[in-house]
Parts: sequence; C-alpha cells; structure tokens
Amino acid sequence: MTKPNFMKSRTLLSVCAGVGLAVQIVTGAMVASTVLSTGTAQAAPAGCADLQAKYPDLKGKTLVNAVNPHTPGYEALDPNDPTKYVGFDIDLGEAIGECLGFSLTYKSVTFAALLTTLQAGQADIVISDIYATVERAKAADFITYLKVFDGVLVAKGNPKGITGINLTMCGAVAAENTGYVEVPLIQALEAECKAAGKPAPEIQLYDNNANCIQAILSGRADTYVNDVNTVDGAVKAYPDQLAKATAVTLPYSVGIAVPRNNVEFRDAIMAALTLIQESGMQVEMMKKWNLPEDQIEAPKLVLAE
Amino acid sequence: MDLFLHYLTQPYLVTGIVYTLLITGLGLAGASVMGIVLAGMQLSRFRALAITARIYAIIFRGTPLILQMIFCYNALPMIGIKLTAVEAASLALALNEAPFIAEIIRANIISVDRGQISAGQALGMTPLVTMIRIVVPQAFRSMVPALGNEAVSALKNSSLASVVSVQELTLRSTQLASANFDFFSIFFASGLMYLVLTGGIAAIQIVVEIMLDLDHPNPKARFARLLPWYREPTVAEAETEPAVEEVVSTPLPAPSAKASHPVDRHKRAQAIAGSRPAIEIGALNKSYEGKTVLAGLDLTVRLGEVVALLGPSGSGKSTLLRCINHLESWDSGTIRVTGRQLGVDTDGKRLSPRAIADARTAVGVGMVFQNFNLFAHLTARENIAGPLRWVQHLSKFDADRRAMELLDRVGLSHRADALPRHMSGGQQQRVAIARALAPNPAVLLLDEPTSALDPELVAEVLEVIRRLAVEDGLTMVISTHQISFAREVADRAVFLADGAVVEEGPAEEVLTRPKNPRTAQFLQIISEDAALTA
Repeated sequence: MTKPNFMKSRTLLSVCAGVGLAVQIVTGAMVASTVLSTGTAQAAPAGCADLQAKYPDLKGKTLVNAVNPHTPGYEALDPNDPTKYVGFDIDLGEAIGECLGFSLTYKSVTFAALLTTLQAGQADIVISDIYATVERAKAADFITYLKVFDGVLVAKGNPKGITGINLTMCGAVAAENTGYVEVPLIQALEAECKAAGKPAPEIQLYDNNANCIQAILSGRADTYVNDVNTVDGAVKAYPDQLAKATAVTLPYSVGIAVPRNNVEFRDAIMAALTLIQESGMQVEMMKKWNLPEDQIEAPKLVLAE
Repeated sequence: MDLFLHYLTQPYLVTGIVYTLLITGLGLAGASVMGIVLAGMQLSRFRALAITARIYAIIFRGTPLILQMIFCYNALPMIGIKLTAVEAASLALALNEAPFIAEIIRANIISVDRGQISAGQALGMTPLVTMIRIVVPQAFRSMVPALGNEAVSALKNSSLASVVSVQELTLRSTQLASANFDFFSIFFASGLMYLVLTGGIAAIQIVVEIMLDLDHPNPKARFARLLPWYREPTVAEAETEPAVEEVVSTPLPAPSAKASHPVDRHKRAQAIAGSRPAIEIGALNKSYEGKTVLAGLDLTVRLGEVVALLGPSGSGKSTLLRCINHLESWDSGTIRVTGRQLGVDTDGKRLSPRAIADARTAVGVGMVFQNFNLFAHLTARENIAGPLRWVQHLSKFDADRRAMELLDRVGLSHRADALPRHMSGGQQQRVAIARALAPNPAVLLLDEPTSALDPELVAEVLEVIRRLAVEDGLTMVISTHQISFAREVADRAVFLADGAVVEEGPAEEVLTRPKNPRTAQFLQIISEDAALTA
C-alpha cells in the first residue's frame, strides 16, 4: 500500500480546510455516503455477552466497513436489490458486529484505497477479501480468517497453456488489480523467464475485479490470478468464454484490517471472530457462499515487523 | 435491449444521478464563488492578492482532480477535518474548477471595452458601480458559452468521486456490473444518463444565450423565440423606423432664437473676461515611460468660455483633458476645477478611486470621447438615465424624463430604444453628448468628438456642440482638428506642442493669423488636408 505523499504543503491544507467547512455546512446531514447492508440475522454464539461486557465501548456503535465490492461471493451488490451488499465477508462482519453489539455501514472504495481509507479514519474496519501481508501490515493490523487459494482464470481452452505463476506465464499478459499481492509474484517471474530465454510476463493493472475479467473476455489479457472462488464465479458467469486453468496455494491468509495501535479494538474483533469460528458459524457461512470448508483458518495476527 | 431499458429505469442507478448532480451542483457553486474571488484578486490593484491567486491557480489547475479528491478525503482528516465523501468530493471539484472559472471571468472582464470603463468613470461612477452596471452585464453575456462548457466538464469530472466512495452514477454502475456481469447494458444505460444530463446543461445554456441576446429586435419575444415554430419577423415588420444604413443624418430640432442669431463676439469676450475661472491648471507635468507628455503646462479656462485645443497628435491634448477630470494622474502641478482639487484631499494626499469618483460628481466635469464610448448593452435612453440613477440617485421616473428631454434636444428621441450598435456614429456621439450633459456638469470636456466619424456625419455633431455653447453658455474645452468649427464656436484657441502651450489667444486671431511658426505650419497642413478630402 502506498501512503499519500502529497500533503506536505500547509497552505494547501488550510485552503482545503476553509472551504471544507463551508461545504460541510451546506451538505450537513443531508447526505449519507454509505449503503446499508443486510446481515443474515443469526443467533450470536454464547460468550458474546461476556465480550460485550468486556468491551462496553463498542456496544450500540455504528462502525464503517470499507469494502471493494467487486468480488461476488465475498462482497458485491445484491443483483436483486442493489441497495444492499452481500457475500461471505459481509455476513462475517455482521456476525462480528452482532457479537460485540455494534452495527456496520459500508463504504465502497477501490481496492488500492481500502487501507488508506482506514488510515485516514474514514473507515473503522476493512473486511474485504484482503490478503494479510507483512507489507500491508505497515498500514493496518490484520486478523486472519481464511487461507488463500488462488485460481488461474484463462480464456476457454487455455490457448496459452498457463498452469500457474510459473514459466508457462512467460510472455503472457496478466490482468491484475492495483495493489493485489499477485502483482509482485508475477513480476518476480521476469528473472526466471529471462534465464529460460523467454520474454517476461506483462501486467495490466485495473481498478476492480470486473475489469480484470473483462480484459480476458476482450482478449486484452491472457490470464487473471485471484482468489479461487472469484475465479469460479467468473467461469460460472461466462461458461462459454472462460475457464479455470488451475488452483495455486499462496503463502498468505485473508485478514480483517483494523487500525494500528488500537489494541483493545483488535482484541475485541479477534475474540469475537474466535467465538464465531468455534461455534461453527463461519463454516455455515462458507457453505452458504460455496467456499471450500478447508479454507478456514484460525485467527492469528499479522503485524508489521 | 430489455436489460438496457431495465437499467435505465432502475432506482439504484437513478439515485446515482442524484449524487452526481449533488456533487456537480455543490462543486460548481463553490467554484463560482471562489472563481469570482480569484478573478477579483487577479484583477486587483494589490500585487500580493494577484500573486496569491496566481499561485493558487498553478497548484489546483496543475494537479489532477483525482489526487485532489483523495487529498480532501484522506489527508484532511490528519489535520482534524473529517469530511464526508460527498463533502470531500464537492470540495475537491470546487477547488479544481475555481481557477478555470476565474480565468473565464477574468478574460471576459478584460475584454469589455476600456473606453466604456473610462466613460463610466467620467460620469462619476465608483469602480464598484462600473463593475456591476457596465462590466459584469457585458462580460456575463460573453462568458455563458465558456461557463456551459465548464459545467459539462464538471459533471463528467464528478465521476471521479467514485474513488472516494461517493455513490454516484459511475460507482454504482461499476459495482452493479461487478455483481451481475451485465457490463454493456449497464454502461450503455449510464452513458445515456450522462448524455441526458449534459444535454440538459446544453439546453440551459442555449436558453440563457437566447434570453441574453440583445440584438433581438423584440425583447418581449425572448421566450417566444425559444419555440421551434417561431420565425423571426422580417426587417420591415420589426423596425418601423428606417434602418441604420438609410439614415445619413437625422435632423436636429429647430434652433432656439438665441442659437439662430450670429454671436456678438465682442460682448461675449467681455462677459467671459469678467467671470470666475472654471479650470485652473498650473505647471502640470506628466511623463509616461520616460517620455514627457505634459511639460509644465499652464492654462486657465473661465466660466462660460469655449476653448479649442489644437495641436499635432502626441502634443498632449487628450492627456490634458483626461487629467482635468482625473481619469489619469500626473507627476506634478495642480489642477483646480471650480476651485476644487480633484483627486487629492485638503492635505494633498491621493484619494482612492472611489473617493475620486465622488469628487468628480461633486465638481461636475462631463466628458465626451472620440470613440463615443456608449455602454454597448444599454439603449440610448438607458445610457443617459442609468448613470443618473446610479450616481445622482434620481428616481427612475425623473431619470427617464431627463433622458428623453436630452434625446429630444439632440434630435434622437425616436431612437431612445435603439442599442448603440444600431445607430450611426453621428447618432452615437449625439447620445454621448446628451449623456455627458445629463448631470448638468459645470465643465464639458470633448476629446476630438468628430475624429471617428464619417465626413458626412461630422456636421450634425458639430451643430449640437455649437448650440450648447450658444444656448447654454456651457464651459467647454474641445480638442479638435476642425479649424473652421473652432473659429466659429471657440472663444479662445490654445495651441499645444510637446506638452506645453506654444500659442493662445482669441480663436479668430490665432487661427487666421498665427504668430508661432509651429502653429502656422500645423494650420497649413490641416487646411491642405481639408482641401484634399473636400
């Protein structure tokens, strides 16, 4: 994640500030920029009452969850009612909220802006299929909840014969999202390809999952490596044009991002997540969204070194 | 196709339009306010303000809007200003559009004819009144197309607010496409929505342009002409009076008894010699970029006297006239008009432009310009009545009555509702004279009033001036090249060369028997010229 580095000038800030106040007066409370969600109401696991007693500050609060809702299965609009977000991540967040007594609203941002939004205080938590890496942990603390299984999306029939992030990808065009962990992995192939006397893979960067899928559909890219369930969803939507070449395991976990240095909040989320996993609720939700059960991972912290 | 229609009417996307319009509206409103302030700063007399505005423009015009949006959304919270997404996006859009709007405003203000601003000043308008009544109405008319452009561009730019999570049309379209994979139907639908919105702006622009069109013969038809079946009336229907081209000379009313009799020169000279000085100029010096324009000029003009200023171009005639009512400042020397110094207070300190305007009104110096300088957006009547309302604070009724009275006097009451550009040069100059006379000035300055006229139109203007001298006994200083007119009308001729008076005396004498060789040479050239053009 990159940090905004264009905020050196004090004058800029004060100009923004002055007019900002004016705009604030104008817009006031008339606008809510967040969309409400639909949590499937399930009975909170036993033990949640104790957690609410332990972390009373969270009770009754409304927190903002920043999401990049372009990943059907994890977080996307409900096609039948686009005023709602649905998916595994959404259900999980709602369950955690219910356990700790807070409710969530959602803020839709690009994938690359998920952690900057959290850092700027414009969101309180990020549950958006984001992989917990040590690099990203410089911007936020992570609590993991899923293992990462990636799928390799290709055009039907796999014309380039791609079998994973390996030498078969040399000379191919890979579509990826800005900020995805797959980007450096594919970039790292360059040396390997050169050594084998092959051209390096080319990477096209897009803003969201849908654009990456479109890149393959339109023939601009040969492959798109991302979460296996997302890849399966794309194949399901375009069975005549797309295929999953293979599944790869990446040495990462999917994590919930919370602000750094707010240990109490982090502990509360982790405790609630643990309860939800132990009660079997998470597995239920994974079944509902067609995620393989063995993807579950016991909560652990990923922090900056 | 069904899907396309479905998305076109889907409440989710339609609500996105509301956010798009909200950001665009707030952004443009903020940008307009800031643009006016920035343009004002750039046009200001104070350098520091102009530089500040320039630096602002460099920064906010020179950085991408998308960065400004992210900045207002994600960076401002670090100094404790946490705006909602809509606020941050509107703010960024306003900050970004402001320099563009400022430049549109500035360009159109600058392009308003400087002569009209001088005329406004000469009529005693304060800078603010000149700005509001003369500059802004004309500038606004010409800035509408550019502002329309800017509004369309702002509407499209509002789609960048999707990067800071504003639920506007673009963000909603992409999210929806991600969820159900119906890319093309969704994007065609949202594309059409954008087209409808920008088309709406274009329609508003066209309506505003038509409503502001001054050239339309019938102002009452401003709305009717928006209808597609409306046809412009033919010229014959529209103008009951003859078209401009046919009017070579509109006759003046019959002269009064006084004006139709020859003037008793001797009696007049005696009366003037006994009257108080109207203008006293002492040791006036002015140089411009190192070039001396006025060099220790002395001149006294008495009440009721008509002085003809003669001299080659560059001799300082216009500058002298402009100094007398302080349209220009000078380096040293004094000018008193009816005993009062214009432009400095009793301690000799320089006054502000506003205070000078008030002093000009109090003293009463009218000015007629070579290029008429009528206010182009106002009818003949309004050119006269307007300043009376704004400066002398007459009621509308009194101002209109005075305007009609004066138009009648210069033989143009039938052209009261005509715009300056629809009148001949001679008619325009007669309106300009009427305008200068309206507040009853003590002194009337005329700067080559016939130089910009076609030869056949000169006579009608000179006749108006002649009658003023004879009928009203008005104090006048006229710079002119019309020797025979000067000989007939002026009591005294003053010959200027290199910014100083080289010869002066009774008009008849100086113009027929010049003593100074430079005067003689100048008169010789002028008479040869006149013979050639005759």
